[in-house]
Amino acid sequence: MAMPVRMSTARRCLAGAAVLALTAVAGCGGGGGEGDGAADSSCRPAPGKVTLQYWSWVPGMDQAVRVWNAEHPDVQVKLRTTPAGNAGTYQNMSNALKAHKAPDLGQIEYDSLAGFRLKGGLKDIQRCPQVAEAQSKFVDWTWSQVDFGAHGKDGVWAIPQDTGPMALYYRKDIFDKLHLKAPTTWAEYESDARVLKKAGKYITHFSQTDPNWFTGLLWQNKATLFEREGDAWKVTVDRPESRQVADYWQKLIDDKLVATDLQGFSPALYKAWNSGEVVTWISAAWGYSTIRDNAAATKGKWAVAPMPQWKAGDQRAGNWGGSTTAVFSGSEHPAEAAEFALWLNTDPKALEILNRSGGLYPAAKAGLTLPALKKPVSFYGDQKIFDVFQQASGEVDTDFTWGPTMTDTYRFLSDGTSDVAAGKGTLGDVLKRTAADSADSLRKQSLDVTR
Amino acid sequence: MSRADRPKRRTLAPYGFLAPFFVPFVLFTLLPVGYAFWQSLHRTARTGGTFGRTHSVFSGLDQYADVVREPYFADSVLRVGLFALVQIPVMLLFALVLALLLDSAVARLKRFFRLVYFVPYGIPGVVAALMWASLYDPRLSPITALLDSAGIRADLLGPRLMLWSIGNVVTWTYTGYNMLILYSALQALPADIEEAARVDGANGWTTALRIKVPLIRPALVLTGVFSIIGSLQLFTEPQVFRSISTSVTSTYTPNLAAYSLTAGDDYGGAAALSVLLATVTFALSFAFLRLTTRRQG
Repeated sequence: MAMPVRMSTARRCLAGAAVLALTAVAGCGGGGGEGDGAADSSCRPAPGKVTLQYWSWVPGMDQAVRVWNAEHPDVQVKLRTTPAGNAGTYQNMSNALKAHKAPDLGQIEYDSLAGFRLKGGLKDIQRCPQVAEAQSKFVDWTWSQVDFGAHGKDGVWAIPQDTGPMALYYRKDIFDKLHLKAPTTWAEYESDARVLKKAGKYITHFSQTDPNWFTGLLWQNKATLFEREGDAWKVTVDRPESRQVADYWQKLIDDKLVATDLQGFSPALYKAWNSGEVVTWISAAWGYSTIRDNAAATKGKWAVAPMPQWKAGDQRAGNWGGSTTAVFSGSEHPAEAAEFALWLNTDPKALEILNRSGGLYPAAKAGLTLPALKKPVSFYGDQKIFDVFQQASGEVDTDFTWGPTMTDTYRFLSDGTSDVAAGKGTLGDVLKRTAADSADSLRKQSLDVTR
Repeated sequence: MSRADRPKRRTLAPYGFLAPFFVPFVLFTLLPVGYAFWQSLHRTARTGGTFGRTHSVFSGLDQYADVVREPYFADSVLRVGLFALVQIPVMLLFALVLALLLDSAVARLKRFFRLVYFVPYGIPGVVAALMWASLYDPRLSPITALLDSAGIRADLLGPRLMLWSIGNVVTWTYTGYNMLILYSALQALPADIEEAARVDGANGWTTALRIKVPLIRPALVLTGVFSIIGSLQLFTEPQVFRSISTSVTSTYTPNLAAYSLTAGDDYGGAAALSVLLATVTFALSFAFLRLTTRRQG
C-alpha cells in the first residue's frame, strides 16, 4: 500500500546519492517524516520462506548465523560483516534508512539506540511473538535500555546482546616486580602510576578515540550525561561527579603519568602493551579478547581486578559498550527478525559461539553461567577472570540514560581530548564545552532542552 | 532530407557535442550542489515529543549563520589556507623540476622515471595515508627511530607537525600527477625552439627557465587550479590520521567538519558548510585564473 510513496522517495534519493559521492553531504529524504512510530503494532509471522538481511561486526557471528540457518530452513539470515558502529557503520545505517534500503536487523550499541529511534529507524517489536515475555531472561539494566525505561509502556526497540561491565586489566608480572598490588582506589592507582613512571612505564593511555571509555568512568561515579524529563532533555555532562573524574585524569595528564599520544585500538598501543610500556587498561569484559588477540607476547602476564574505587570500600563498576540486535523500521518481516534476534541472544549454542569467537559478555542471564565463563582463562594466568566481571555486572548503576545525540557528544569529548593532549585547556573545560555543545545538538534536532 | 530541417539540425549539433560534458556536469555537479543548497535552507522540526515525527521546515539562512559562527569554521578554513599557501608551491616546484629534468636531452630511462614518479598517484589515498601513518608513528617507524638516533626528536604526529606531515603525504601523492601534466606540455613544444636557443648560446638551464617555463604557463595555471581545489577539499589524509594521532580533531578541515555534521544527523548544517565550501572553491579558482592569465589577455 505504501509502495508508490516509497518508490518516489527512492527516486528522489538518486540525487542524494550523487550528493554523497561528491560533496560529502549524506542522505536524502528530509522532506517527509521518516518516523515509523509505534502506531502499527501488529507483528505476525509471514507465510512461506523469508530471507533476512543482518549487519553486525561481532567476530564469529557467521558461525552463529550458520547454526541458525541450518535449524531454520524457512527463515534464512544473510549476514554482512561491517566495521564497528562508530567506525562508519552507523553512518551507513543512517544513510540506508534514509534511502529505504536498510537491512532487517542490525547491531546497535546501547549508547546509539536512542539516536536511531530519534530518526525513526527502529521498529517497535513489543508485540512480536515472545518478545514481551523475554524481559525476565535479560540482566535488568539492559532491558531498561531497550524499552527506554518506560517499562514496556512505550514499546520495545531492540533485544539486548552483550554488556561491558568494567574492571582493571593489569600486568601482574610488572606490578609484582615493582612490589605493587592491584590498586583498589583511584588514589592508589595514581601513586602506582608514579612508581611506574619512574620505571619508565605508563600506567595507561588517555586517547581521543576513547570518549566512550571516559563515559564508562563517569558512569562508575554516577555521573550521567543526560536526563530525560518528560519530553525535554537535561544535559548533565558538567556536574560535580564528572568534574571529579575529569580533574583526576587531568592531574595524571599534567604529570605525564599516562600516554597521551596513543590511540585506543591502534597498532602503536598494541606494541606498547607487548613491550610493557603501557601496563594497565581499565576496560570492559569484552576487552579480554582485545588484549589476548593483540598482545600475544604477554600471555600469562595479565590479571584482572575490580575497578579502582573513589571511596575505599565502595563497590561500583562502570560499563563500556555492549550491543543490541535491533529490527530496522523498514523490515517487512519483523516477526521473523525478532525471533532471530531473541534466538541469537538467548540460545546457549549462540551465546557460546559469540563469547568464544567474539568475546561477548552476554546480556542474557542464562549467559552469565555459561560453562566457558566459569573456566580459568589461560591467557590471564589461569585466573577465573569472568567472576570479576560477573560481580562488576551487578555493580553497574542502572539509572544511566543515554542521550539521543550521543554521536555528537562523543565527538565533542573526543575533540576536547585532542586539544588537551596538545596542551590546550583542561578536561574540566572539555566538560563545560561538551555540555554547551550537546545542548546545541539537541536543539538542532528540535528537541526541548531544560536547564 | 527536407530543406526546412537543416537550420534546426545545425543549431542542435553543437549541443550534441557538448552533451558528453554537459550531462554529467548537470547530473553530478549542478544537481547535487542545488540539492545541497535546498537542504541547507531547511532544518528538522519535530511533532509529538522526543520520539515523535520529523519533518523539515524552511529556515532561511539560519544554518549558514550557525556554521559561520562556530569556532571550528574559522580555524579549519585558516588551516587549509595555510596548508595551501605552503604545500601547493612546494609541490608544483617539485613537479616542474622533475618535468624539466625528464624533458632535458641528457635524461636517460625517461619512460621508467615517468612511471616511477606517477606511481604514488595510482595508490588509493587511504592506503597511502595508512602507509605514511605507520612511517610517522614514533613507536613503529624506522624513520623516527633513525632521526632519534641522530638526536632529532621529531614528533611527526604531534600537534605541531601534523599539518606538515599531511602536506608531505599530499605532495608525495600528487607531485607525479602534476609532473605528468607539465611534462606533456613540455613535450608539445616544437623542437626548433630549443634548437634556436642552443644556437643563440643558451645553456640547458637558461633554456628551461627563460623559454620552456614561460611557454608552459597554461599548464602551470591548470595544475595550480587543481591544487587549490584539492587543498580545500582535504579529507582522506586527516581522516585516516585521526585513528592514530591525537592531533586531528573532527573539524580539522572544512570537509571533515561537514562529514562530522552528517554523522550527528545535522544534514542542514553539513549542506550549508558544503555550499560555502563549493562557493569559496569556485571563487578562489576563478580569482587565481584571472590573476594568472591577465598578462596574456
